[in-house]
Amino acid sequence: MNIQNNSGGVWKSGKGKGRRTPKGRQYEDAALAEIRALLGDRPRRRDLLIEFLHLVQDAHGHLSAAHLRALAEEMRMAQAEVYEVATFYAHFDVVKEGETPPPALTIRVCDSLSCELAGAQALLAALKDGHDPAEVRVLRAPCMGRCDAAPVLEIGHHHIDFATPELVGKAIAAEHFHPEMPDYEALDAYRAAGGYGELEALRGGSATPDEVQEKVLSSGLRGLGGAGFPSGKKWSFVRAEAGPRYLAVNGDEGEPGTFKDRYYLERAPHLFLEGMLIAAWAVEAERCYIYIRDEYPAVLKILADEIAALEAAGIVEPGYVELRRGAGAYICGEESAMIESIEGKRGLPRHRPPFVAQIGLFDRPTLVHNVETLHWVARVCREGPEILSSVEKNGRVGLRSYSVSGRVKEPGVHLLPAGSTILDIIEAAGGMLDGHVFKAYQPGGPSAGILPARMDDIPMDFDTLQPHGTFIGSAAVVILSDRDRARDAALNMLRFFEDESCGQCTPCRVGCSKAVTLMEAEKWDAELLTDLCDVMVDASICGLGQAAPNPIRMVIKHFPEEV
Amino acid sequence: MNKNVTFDLETKTVTFSLDGRTVTASPDETIWQVAKREGTTIPHLCHKDATGYRPDGNCRACMVEIDGDRVLAASCVRKPTEGMVVKSESERATKARAMVMEMLVADQPKRAEAHDRSSRFWDMADAQGVSDSRFPRRAPDHVPLLDDSHVAMRVNLDACIHCNLCVRACREVQVNDVIGMAERGFDAEIVFDFNDPMGASTCVACGECVQACPTGALMEATVLDDAQHGDSEDIDREVASVCPFCGVGCQVSFKIKDEKIKFVDGLDGPANENRLCVKGRFGFDYIHHPHRLTKPLIRRDDAPSKGLNVDPANPWTHFREAEWDEAIKVAADGLLDLRSFWGGRAVAGFGSAKCSNEEAYLFQKLIRQAFKHNNVDHCTRLCHASSVAALMENVGSAAVTATFNEIENAELAIVIGANPTENHPVAATYFKQFAKRGGELIVMDPRGQGLKRHATHMLQFRPGTDVAMLNAIMNVIVEEKLYDRQYIEGFTEGFFEFRDHIRAFPPERMAELCGIDAETLRTVARKFAGARTAMIFWGMGISQHIHGTDNSRCLISLALLCGHIGRPGTGLHPLRGQNNVQGASDAGLIPMFLPDYQSVKDPEVRGLFGHIWKGTEIEAAPGLTVVEIVDAMYRGEIRGMYVMGENPAMSDPDVEHARRALAKLEHLVVQDVFLTETANYADVILPASAWPEKTGTVTNTNRQVQMGRKAVEPPGEAREDWRITVDIANALGLDWDYDSPREVFSEMKMSMRSLHHITWERLEKEGAVTYPTLGPDDPGQAVVFGDGFPRRAGRAKFTPARVTPPAEVPDKEFPFILMTGRQLEHWHTGSMTRRSVVLDWAEPEANASLHPATLRKLGVEPGGMLRIETRRGAIEIMARADRAVAEEMVFVPFAYVEAAANVLTNPQLDPYGKIPEFKFSACRVSAAEPAEVTAAE
Repeated sequence: MNIQNNSGGVWKSGKGKGRRTPKGRQYEDAALAEIRALLGDRPRRRDLLIEFLHLVQDAHGHLSAAHLRALAEEMRMAQAEVYEVATFYAHFDVVKEGETPPPALTIRVCDSLSCELAGAQALLAALKDGHDPAEVRVLRAPCMGRCDAAPVLEIGHHHIDFATPELVGKAIAAEHFHPEMPDYEALDAYRAAGGYGELEALRGGSATPDEVQEKVLSSGLRGLGGAGFPSGKKWSFVRAEAGPRYLAVNGDEGEPGTFKDRYYLERAPHLFLEGMLIAAWAVEAERCYIYIRDEYPAVLKILADEIAALEAAGIVEPGYVELRRGAGAYICGEESAMIESIEGKRGLPRHRPPFVAQIGLFDRPTLVHNVETLHWVARVCREGPEILSSVEKNGRVGLRSYSVSGRVKEPGVHLLPAGSTILDIIEAAGGMLDGHVFKAYQPGGPSAGILPARMDDIPMDFDTLQPHGTFIGSAAVVILSDRDRARDAALNMLRFFEDESCGQCTPCRVGCSKAVTLMEAEKWDAELLTDLCDVMVDASICGLGQAAPNPIRMVIKHFPEEV
Repeated sequence: MNKNVTFDLETKTVTFSLDGRTVTASPDETIWQVAKREGTTIPHLCHKDATGYRPDGNCRACMVEIDGDRVLAASCVRKPTEGMVVKSESERATKARAMVMEMLVADQPKRAEAHDRSSRFWDMADAQGVSDSRFPRRAPDHVPLLDDSHVAMRVNLDACIHCNLCVRACREVQVNDVIGMAERGFDAEIVFDFNDPMGASTCVACGECVQACPTGALMEATVLDDAQHGDSEDIDREVASVCPFCGVGCQVSFKIKDEKIKFVDGLDGPANENRLCVKGRFGFDYIHHPHRLTKPLIRRDDAPSKGLNVDPANPWTHFREAEWDEAIKVAADGLLDLRSFWGGRAVAGFGSAKCSNEEAYLFQKLIRQAFKHNNVDHCTRLCHASSVAALMENVGSAAVTATFNEIENAELAIVIGANPTENHPVAATYFKQFAKRGGELIVMDPRGQGLKRHATHMLQFRPGTDVAMLNAIMNVIVEEKLYDRQYIEGFTEGFFEFRDHIRAFPPERMAELCGIDAETLRTVARKFAGARTAMIFWGMGISQHIHGTDNSRCLISLALLCGHIGRPGTGLHPLRGQNNVQGASDAGLIPMFLPDYQSVKDPEVRGLFGHIWKGTEIEAAPGLTVVEIVDAMYRGEIRGMYVMGENPAMSDPDVEHARRALAKLEHLVVQDVFLTETANYADVILPASAWPEKTGTVTNTNRQVQMGRKAVEPPGEAREDWRITVDIANALGLDWDYDSPREVFSEMKMSMRSLHHITWERLEKEGAVTYPTLGPDDPGQAVVFGDGFPRRAGRAKFTPARVTPPAEVPDKEFPFILMTGRQLEHWHTGSMTRRSVVLDWAEPEANASLHPATLRKLGVEPGGMLRIETRRGAIEIMARADRAVAEEMVFVPFAYVEAAANVLTNPQLDPYGKIPEFKFSACRVSAAEPAEVTAAE
C-alpha cells in the first residue's frame, strides 16, 4: 500500500491551485440559521421574496451578501434571482463582503416637484452638512405622498411634515423613528354605521353580480389610478375569463403630487376594504392582494390590523386578503409591474396584449383596481350610483379627488365636481399664496406635463385634456407661480423618471437619461429632443416611457422662451 | 366577398395585412416571424431567431405600426389578429427603429474599437444607415470596465445594450441561473450571482451567453486581442461536426482560422438545439497541445523497465521515433509472434467508445478475424454494462426507449444515480427546463447533486440501497393496485411472480435500509403511477455496483408496472457516457455480441459474418470482458494487447493492479493522441487523430447516428484511427482494402438492421438520423416499443431483484464510503481535458469532496491535504468542502493521475454485466501528514 510517487508518468499536478468549495459563493451555516429564524414557518414561496427581503432589511438594517446567499439557499433560488430583485428596489440596501453597511439611521428627503418648490434642496444640503454620514445617512427620495405638507422627509419610518433641520434634531433626540398613526375609523365604528351590511346582503343574494356591475357602470365610476377605464366594464372582462381569478389592489400611489389614496386609507380604510370585497365577490376572486407602497407605513399598519379584525369578525377567511409591501419603486404603480412585484420579482411592466384581465397575477385573470376606485365602489353600492352620476359641471359628470399642492394657500385633497377647471381648484385650495401669481400647472402628475396658466378653462376630467396633449391621470395638481421656471419643473420631472425607469426598454432607459443631460443645457436642442420624445412615446413598453416626454414637449410648446 | 371570411376554424390561421400584402399566420406566429417568412427581416437585437429563445420585446428595434394602435408594437412579441393592418415600412416605424439604434450607438465603443466588428448590432445599424449618434455619450465614470476574471470569456459591458439575451440564455435556455439584470433604469447592469466577477461566480462556462450576445459584450477570449478588439467573422472556414466529449452528441460548428480551432458554436442538432457545455465550447484546444503525438514511437532497447514513468513532454528516455512502416511492422510482428507461439488467445484488444462507429467496427473485426476469438471489449464495460444486461434480458434491446428530449412531453421524470448537470450538461438543460415548466422532477441520489434545487422531490438515499428503495416504491404500486393492468396484460410477462416477490418489500421496512421515510416512498410511488406520462433516466450510480443489473431491473419493472414505455413522454433512458458508447456497442465492440447485438453463440449469426468477412471462422464462445482481460494479463494468459484510444491504466478499478498487469505484457501496442498512462507501458505507440481531425459517424445516447466531419488535419504524421487499424490488419495478413469510412459504413449496413434506411449520403445531408427509421424521409423514431418489444411474443419481462449489500461495507477500520465519478470539466481520465487551458483552469487539481462537518471532525481545512486509504491503496488529495456529499461519504473524481481514484476502487464485479463497483468502497480518511507530503515532493 504505497502512496504514488511523482514519477515522470504523473505529468500533471495543480497542487495548491484547486478550488476549496464548489463554484461561487457558499452559504454560511450561521447566516442560514438566522434566515430560517426570521422566516419562521412562513411558506417558502417565491412570490414572498420581497416580503422576506423586508424581514431581513428590517431586522439587520441592510441585506448582507451572507444573508442573501442563505436566503437563496432557503428559497431554493439562484443567487442572481435574489440579487436582481434586492437591487431593483430603492428601499433595500445590499451590502457585499468588505463593504460598510449603511448607518442605523436613514433620512430620505423628498425632492419631487412640490417639495422642491418648498425648498427640498436646501433642506437636503442642510441635513447632509449637519449630520455625520457615519451615523446618519441622508438620501434624496421621490414623492412620499404628503405634498400638502411640503417639504417632507422620512426619518426611519417617521414622516416629518413641513420638515426643517430643527424638527429632525428633535426627532433624533426623542428617537422618534416610527410612523405616527392617524385617527381612523376602525372596524367597530364602521360596522356600527352600517358598514359591511351591503357586502353581507350581496353575499346573501340581495343582488346578482350583473346587477351590481350595472350599478357601478351607471354611476359612471372610472379607474381613479389614472387610466380612467370604466370600472364596471373591467369587471365584465375579468368575469368573461375562466377562473380561478384574482383581485389585486394598486396602492402604489407613486405619481408625484398624488396623495388621495393615502388620504382615504388613513381615514376610512373600511370603505375601501368593503369596496374591494364587493368587487372580489362580483368577479369571484380566489384571493385579494393589496399592494401598498413602502412610503405609507401607517397605512400598512392600519390595513394589517383591520384585515386581522375582518378575519376575527368572520367577514373574510384567514388568508383571503394578502397585504403586500412595496419596496420603493414608482414603476410598480403600473399594474402589470405591480403584478410582477406581487409575484416577488422586479417590477418590469409586461407587454400588452395580453391584458391583466386575461393573464394577470400568477398568469390568471386578474381584476386590478386603484384604492380610491374601490372606495367609491363601496359608496356607490351603499349610497346609490347617484352620488356620482347626479353631480354635473361644465358638461362633465361625477366627482374627482384632486390632490392639490404647490403655490396655494390650502393644499390638500379637495373633492370637487369632475368638471372643475384649474381656477375652481385653486379657489377650493384657498387661492394662490400671497405674493405669487399663477403661472402654470401640472394637471395630473409629471406624466401629464405642464400647462400654462392661460389654459384655465378646461374641465379637469378624463378625456377633456387629451386634445391638449395631456391627461388628468391621478389628478395630482401642482400649481406653479411666477417665481418658478417651467423648465426647472420639467427637469425635476425627467430626473424623477430617470430614477424610476425600470430599464427594461431602450427608449425609456436610454431616453430618460439622455433627456436629462440634454435638458441641463442652457439652450435646448429642440430638434433632437423632439426626435427623442417621439421615439419614447411611440416605442416605450409602458406608460412611464410613453408619458415621460410630456413635460419636455409641453415646455417646448408652451414655454419656448425658457429654453 | 368570400375572400374576406378568412378565419379558418379548422386550422385557426389568421389572415392579416403586412405592408399591403395579405398574409396568413399560424396562431403562435409573431408578426416578426411572418415577416421573415415573407422575405422581410425586420431589424432586431434582443430577439434571437433560434430554437429555445423566447422573444422579449425589450430593445424596441423591431417596432412596426398597427392600424388602430396608439403606439407602435414590437413585432417580435406581437401576434397578428384577424384583419390586422401592419406596416413595417411606414415612416413612423422606420424612424422609431432608427432612433432606437441611434440611442444605443451613443454609448457603444466606437466601431473601429468594437469587441466584435461583425456583431449583429453593427449589422443592424448598417441595415438602417445608422453609424453615428447625436446623443451625448454617457459620463466616463458610468462606462463599465473589463471583467477578465474568467479564462474562457471576456465581459466588456461597455458594449452591453441590456437586451437580456444573456439572461435568457443562462436562465431559460441552459437554466444555469447565474446571470441576472440587477439595479434598474440607466444603472441596470448584467451581473453574475451577486455582481461577482464572472470567474469567481457559479458560472459553469457553457458559453450560451457568448453565443447569444448580439454586441460582443460577452465574447470568447480567443476572439479578442489584448485591447479587447475582435471580429467573430475573422475565420477561414467553419465545419459542422459533433462534439466528442459525452453521449449527448451535441452538434458543433468548428470555426477555423490558420488551421486552428479559433472558437466553437453550437448547431441546431436534434439533441442539443444549439446548446453546448464548457467542454464542447471551450475544450478543443487540447488538439493543439504540444504533448500531441506526431510520429510513431518505439520503445527503446535501453528503456527503463515498464512503469508509470514516462514524461509525455519528453518521452525520449523510453521511446525513439520511427517511420510509419517500421512502427506498423513492429506493432504487428509483436502480435503475430505471440499468436504463432502461444496461439491467438495470447492477444486481446481494447477498442474505444471515443472513436467512430466505423473504427469500432474495424477494431472488433480485426481482433475476431486475426486472433479467432472474442476477447475484445471497451469502456462500456465500466459504464453501462449492467444496464445493457438488464435491458437485453427484459426489454430485448439495450438502447434507450426514448430520447432524453422526450422529457418535453412528460409529466414526471425520475433521475436516479445520474448527475447530468456535470456529466450530461446539455441533457440536463432539458431536465431543468422541464422542472421550470412545472414538471414533476424526482431526483434520487446519495449526493445532493446539481438537480436538487430543481427537484420537486429529492430522495437522498443511502449509497448502495437502490434495490431496497425501488422495491419499496413498487411494493406500494402493487399493494395499492396503482399499476396499469391493461398494459401488464398486453405487453409483459412474469408479473405474478414479480407481484409475489415484491410483497416482501413494504416501505416501512425498507425505509430503515435506504434512509427514505415510508411516506415519501409512498408519495413518489403514487405520483409515478398516477402520472399520465413519466420517464426514468439513470446513470452510473445505478450501473456501477455489484448489483447494477438488479438496480436496472428494478427501473425496468417500475416503468413496465405503470405502462410508462412506448408513448411520447415515457420511456427508459440510461444516459450513455462516452460520445460513441452506443455506437461502439452497436458496432460489436463487445465480447458477447457481433454488430447489432447478434450473439456470437448463434450459428446463423456466425454464418452471416463469416460470409461478409470472407470466410472468417468466428469463435462461438463469448470473450472476456475488460476486467477479466486485465486479470488474464496479470496471470500471464494474455501477453499482448492492441489498445485503441483506451486508458485502462487510469480507468480500471484497483488500477495499481491493472498497471502491474500492463507492465507484464510482452507486447503492447497503444494507438492514441497523447502518451497516456497506458502508453507509458507500450512497446509501440501509434499517433492517432483527435475527433476534429477525422470523418466518421457516431451514435449518441438518443440512438441518433450523426456525421462527424474533419475540421483540421492531424498534426505531424498522426493518422486517422481507421487508417491505422487497416494498416495493422494488413500487416497481420488480413488483406483489407477499405479506403474510406464510407466503405466501412456500407459493410456495416450489410449486417446491421438498425442502420436500415440510414445511408452515408443521408447522414452527409441531414447530419443526424435516429434509428430505427421507417424510411428515407423519416427522421427516425424518438420513441420505440409502443407496439411491443423485441422479445418472445413481443412481451417485456419482470425480473425480480433482491437486496444485495455492497461487496465491501464500511467497518471500524474503513468507516467511510468512497464514491467515484466525474466532474463537469474533466473527461474521464483527463488525457484530453487536462490539456485544455480553460478546463484545466477550472479544475486544476485533484480533489476529494467531503461534507464540511466531516472536514471539521478530521481537523482538515478546505484546501488542505487528505489521505484516503482503502484495502487496495492510498492517495493524497486536496479536500473540498461540499455539502452535497453526505457526512459519511467521500467523493473522488477519477480524472487525476496524481491522485488516481482508481487506486482505491474495488474490482468486484456484477455477475451479469461484469461491471465493477466504482460507486462503493469502504475507505478511511485522515489529514495527510506533512512529512509524507514533503517526502512525496
